Amino acid sequence: MTSATSTAARPRHSAYTRRRGRAGLAFVTPFMIIYTLFMIVPVLFAVYDSLYTTRLIGGTSFSGFANYATVLGSGPFWGGVVRVIIFGAIQIPVMLAIAFFFSSVFDLGLTKFGRVFRAIYFIPFAVPIVVSSLMWGFLFDPGYGPFNHVMDALGFSNFNWLSPALVLPAIIIIAVWEWTGYNSIILYTALKSVPRDVVEAAILDDTPLWRIVLRIKLPMVRPAIIMLIFINAIGATQLFIEPTILNNYQAGVITNTWTPVMDIYSTSIQSGEYQLGAAMAVVLAVIVVAISVASLAFRRNQRELA
Amino acid sequence: MSPNKPLAWLAGAIAAVTLTACGTGAPSPAGKSSSAAKPSASVLAGGSSCSSSSVKLTFWAWVPGINRAVNKFNQTHPGICVTLEDPGAGEPEYTALTNAMKAGSGAPDVAEIEFDELPSFEIQHYVKNLVPYGAGKYQKDFAPWAWSQVSQGGGVYAMPSDFGPMGFYYDQKTLAKYHVTPPKTWADFATDAAKVHRQNPKATLADFPVNDAQWLMDMMSQAGAWPFQYNGGSNITINWTGPKQEAFAAYWQKLISAGAVSTITDQATQQYTALDSGTIAAALDSAWAPSYFAANAKRSTGQWRAAPLPQWTAGANVAADWGGSTYPVLSASKHPKEAAEFAEWLTATDQSWNIVKTPPSSLFPTYLKTLQSKSFTSLAYPVSGKSQPNQVFSAGALTIPKTPWPPFMTQLISQEMTTVGGVMNGKETLKQAFAAIQQQEVSYAKAQGFKVST
Repeated sequence: MTSATSTAARPRHSAYTRRRGRAGLAFVTPFMIIYTLFMIVPVLFAVYDSLYTTRLIGGTSFSGFANYATVLGSGPFWGGVVRVIIFGAIQIPVMLAIAFFFSSVFDLGLTKFGRVFRAIYFIPFAVPIVVSSLMWGFLFDPGYGPFNHVMDALGFSNFNWLSPALVLPAIIIIAVWEWTGYNSIILYTALKSVPRDVVEAAILDDTPLWRIVLRIKLPMVRPAIIMLIFINAIGATQLFIEPTILNNYQAGVITNTWTPVMDIYSTSIQSGEYQLGAAMAVVLAVIVVAISVASLAFRRNQRELA
Repeated sequence: MSPNKPLAWLAGAIAAVTLTACGTGAPSPAGKSSSAAKPSASVLAGGSSCSSSSVKLTFWAWVPGINRAVNKFNQTHPGICVTLEDPGAGEPEYTALTNAMKAGSGAPDVAEIEFDELPSFEIQHYVKNLVPYGAGKYQKDFAPWAWSQVSQGGGVYAMPSDFGPMGFYYDQKTLAKYHVTPPKTWADFATDAAKVHRQNPKATLADFPVNDAQWLMDMMSQAGAWPFQYNGGSNITINWTGPKQEAFAAYWQKLISAGAVSTITDQATQQYTALDSGTIAAALDSAWAPSYFAANAKRSTGQWRAAPLPQWTAGANVAADWGGSTYPVLSASKHPKEAAEFAEWLTATDQSWNIVKTPPSSLFPTYLKTLQSKSFTSLAYPVSGKSQPNQVFSAGALTIPKTPWPPFMTQLISQEMTTVGGVMNGKETLKQAFAAIQQQEVSYAKAQGFKVST
């Protein structure tokens, strides 16, 4: 991520600036209209809606921050938040380590048919999450899933990947499988942008290969890794499809408040408490915004240091 | 993990809705159609073929093959034109219906709503009282339980269609292998369950699909342990922890702890496979089982027989109902008179029942004339060989205890499924789960503005 965006000379002529400003405005207007209609307005409406409560008896009334008080005091909601944090804390490092390994292998040209393998590793990302969750559900199924048989053969009797203790690791495996290819493509691109002369100098110095990878290349793609950590962290807070689908393979393990988004869904759709769901969504959004702002601040800091 | 896959996410949301509907929504014949349920409304009958001067009605339903009845109605009622749309089975339809009613546009004139969901629509005044449109005169034509389900105060808020009186539905070869005959009482059932499990530790007499709230509550109703009292309005009694409820929980917990009954999800592949292979010998199932289970039976085809439910008191004759649907007229309808006429024709005429009792609809009638007709009770189903299971189910149809559903069943179903998870994996007892449900439902009902008694 060694971009040089703000180095272009600034135009001096104000007439030119104005004309360019107008043209720019014309270009961004369609986007801004759609963005306002389908992003900003719904978000503002959700915030507005979260200040009301509709009851079966008594109808709709203004309730101020009562819904927020409910969310902040909800054990299941924060239990879900903690669960996705644990999920992210394990899944993201494991996935990035694997992704970095593969991208380095491809970058060094250690394999034949590198392009083919890159494509193969990328395929899981192209599979819709619903489909991959269904597929993994069958693989993990306690009745006939091959993975439980493998564990049985290894001496773990009555092994069940979808039991309460193991369903989170199972979902981590699915997520790692889904996202490693995508992350390794980004890392591969970053590795490719490492200046050749640096590497060549290291080779001339007789630096061993592992040192080139870990001591020279890894630090140089650090900005890309940090960006991936935050993008994946935001994704982790929104975990929904995998647990929702796996719930169909082993009833009673994944609750309707298992992740914050599942909680929002069941509160809104099944319990019909849309306003409480809106308050939950706002709280979750604040958490995501906090992660994003931290990410931006962190990256700016890094760049300044570099 | 969404930010990069908005499309996959959307698909996920749709799939989630659909899958939940299969899992929780509709164990009535409703469920049968879930594989055929369309993700979006699609016109299945009526539509452009009507004359321009006729009154146009929209009808939402998911029962497969009900378009045949709609076409018949349109042919015989030239002044009315009904268009059928299928927005999905169970929960997807209720969500669409509730949204349309809230939005004030897009709601149909008549819609299919299951018995247990009807009070949720009554309390929001989304359904019309049909007494002014002559519905009252049909009371004598319907099974008493079904009529009590659609009536509240002096009003009738829907026409009852099909239902599912419960019975003990068993694979006679498997039962004979274990030297067991259909149990007459629940005490016999417990003895037989232990007997089967002793002979084959991998087998059970029956499944106890505790995460199916409707099934569980139907079984509770037969035990006199119905956990709600509700007659419309703002007062509700919630009781999952009374002596009857705890006795029910204790009875089943003993069997669950001993491994004498299974605790797997019903209406799902795993259960069907177990029933077909004989791993589970019988099902506490409903009148629609013969047509519903048929598609999933291979090895055991022809071996399934029906017997009455075991009784809590020897010699008694108490049945239960599992599932079934009603046809209310939505309060947004601009043509309530014609809509009521259609709902009444659909549920209370021979003309309609002669169509909908046949496959693929295979509805089990609340309409007494069809229910008690020889041609219906003597029906044979390939899955049940030459036996006539409707004899047993029809007999049970008249002895079903009342089940006043709370007006928030969607919430209860979803919450219950989560709460009993520990019972299914042995981490919690049924009694503990009932106590948790009690606490959750009381607090939900209070938050919704109800005056709650316990």
